[in-house]
Amino acid sequence: MTSKSESSYIQSALLSDPPCRADGRALLDYRALRLTTGVAALANGSARLTLGGTTILAACKLEIEDIEHAIDATDGRRISCAVSCSPAAYPHHAPAALDELQHDLAHLLNAALAHAALRPANLTVLPGRKAWLLSLDCVVLADAGNVHDALFLAARAALCDTRVPVTRPVEYRTPLHAGGVRGDGDDDSMGMGMGVDTDGAGLDTRHAAHAADFELADYWSEGAALEGWDRWPVCVTLNLISTTHFLDATPQEEAAVSLRLLLLISCAPAGPPTLHGTRLIGSGELPPAQFKSLVQDSLTYAKELKKTLDAQMHSERARRQSGVLR
Amino acid sequence: MASFDRRRINGPEESRPPVFDDEIDSSPSNLTTREGRSPKDIRPIFLTPGLISQANGSAYIETEKTKIACAVYGPRQIKNAPYNEVGKLNVEVKFAPFSCTRRRAPMRDAEDRSTGVLIHQALVPSLRLELLPKSCIDVFITILENDGLEGCVASGSVAASTALADAGIEMFGLVTSCAGITMEKDIWLDPTAEEATQARGCFTLACMPALGAITSVWQTGQMTADEIIQCTEECQARCKDIHDVVATALLNSRSTKG
Repeated sequence: MTSKSESSYIQSALLSDPPCRADGRALLDYRALRLTTGVAALANGSARLTLGGTTILAACKLEIEDIEHAIDATDGRRISCAVSCSPAAYPHHAPAALDELQHDLAHLLNAALAHAALRPANLTVLPGRKAWLLSLDCVVLADAGNVHDALFLAARAALCDTRVPVTRPVEYRTPLHAGGVRGDGDDDSMGMGMGVDTDGAGLDTRHAAHAADFELADYWSEGAALEGWDRWPVCVTLNLISTTHFLDATPQEEAAVSLRLLLLISCAPAGPPTLHGTRLIGSGELPPAQFKSLVQDSLTYAKELKKTLDAQMHSERARRQSGVLR
Repeated sequence: MASFDRRRINGPEESRPPVFDDEIDSSPSNLTTREGRSPKDIRPIFLTPGLISQANGSAYIETEKTKIACAVYGPRQIKNAPYNEVGKLNVEVKFAPFSCTRRRAPMRDAEDRSTGVLIHQALVPSLRLELLPKSCIDVFITILENDGLEGCVASGSVAASTALADAGIEMFGLVTSCAGITMEKDIWLDPTAEEATQARGCFTLACMPALGAITSVWQTGQMTADEIIQCTEECQARCKDIHDVVATALLNSRSTKG
């Protein structure tokens, strides 16, 4: 909790000319970003991200979902997000308040990442019958301000690190009986089919028009990367103070500021940046003209942030491939 | 044990809603042009304060298929809590079990809380909470019929602001709210649930037209920055019209009360 005099001290420092912050950063500087991927050995993809002092651990787990018998007719390939705030990160919060915080963060993640347009195409196993369900779980291990940005960065890194096992559909046919009569050649898919080249084997993995089941193509391989990784958004939190704004607030700065604007932006290489979510949080009011200029400014910040994250992911991938221990 | 409720007679564990003949015939059409109204038209609003006599302030709003009742209790003292210098606003939203096409559980669930948080954000910048230390204002919103989440949040904010004004709580200005969706090339205001599912992006804006200040922005789906700016302008213009409706309704109810 910050006292009124401390809040006023921070505010006047931010509004002074030149503006100064407690750790000497400029208004638009982020703290140091550190990323490690592959931290959860049993997960299909995971990442641990540190932004200043804020530490988030995100992990993706895949499981098969039966979409044929589901009550809501969906296409499957769902992403479901959950956030858990470690009590160690919020020692002063009551358990009920912690629950609410978790729920709000999870709702933000779900609203952006679980959207139908972002569903990866390679999560289908058997079209219309079975698909992968991706569960993204994030844990906030330490909160030193700017949880929203760190959460989305960690989620994006974990999703980009995820490997989907490659499957292929499989169809069962009963073998040709000895002395059986050959039919006309067109058989029904499931029943007494006699493909010319079955050779008595019960399994034909080649023509699976009405596949009943699936198998892993290669048991030992990790799988393919998730498709559509350049569509995942990054989050930019603009802390608004009077007519200026600043990025990446520390907890004291967050307490001194009464209004924050969250923008979720994805920058595809081709085309204009897309906003996947916008949210205003706080008890201040926002003039519309300022809102418009903030939206424009945030596009530049998002590009920079995404570049930094991609560079870190690239160096992580190189490090893991070369087998260097960290 | 998943949905076992001791206090009620539980139905079978898995059950599906019946499918009617006319539902099978009418397949969801791809909406290219809007039916029944122009893209920038909002549905007519019926708003009346003073519906619930026990509450300090209340309002009922109805726009075609969205029906919301709102009650405000407060300012009242917070017991068993440390001293708070500015008043607290609690917004509780409840979707009635019969409000949606598929029955909702009577217990409070996740969607109730997220809707409540959005309406809370729309209202908080407009209230003079610094005049109410040690107090809390409770806003209870019951959604009787739900035609799309964006419509519920927008209408709920309008109803809540009317109820707060009806309760006599000091505020900087009335909050009105409007939702819009981006279809192919156009922006449609005040979407129904069906239109919202087919939209590329949904945008809900809450503002105080009297002061020209935005109190809440909520956008989902995919939109470009230019579309968001255009949506903001359209929604703001509509919010001014809704503000007239709210002000007229409040004045009429005061004049009949005497």
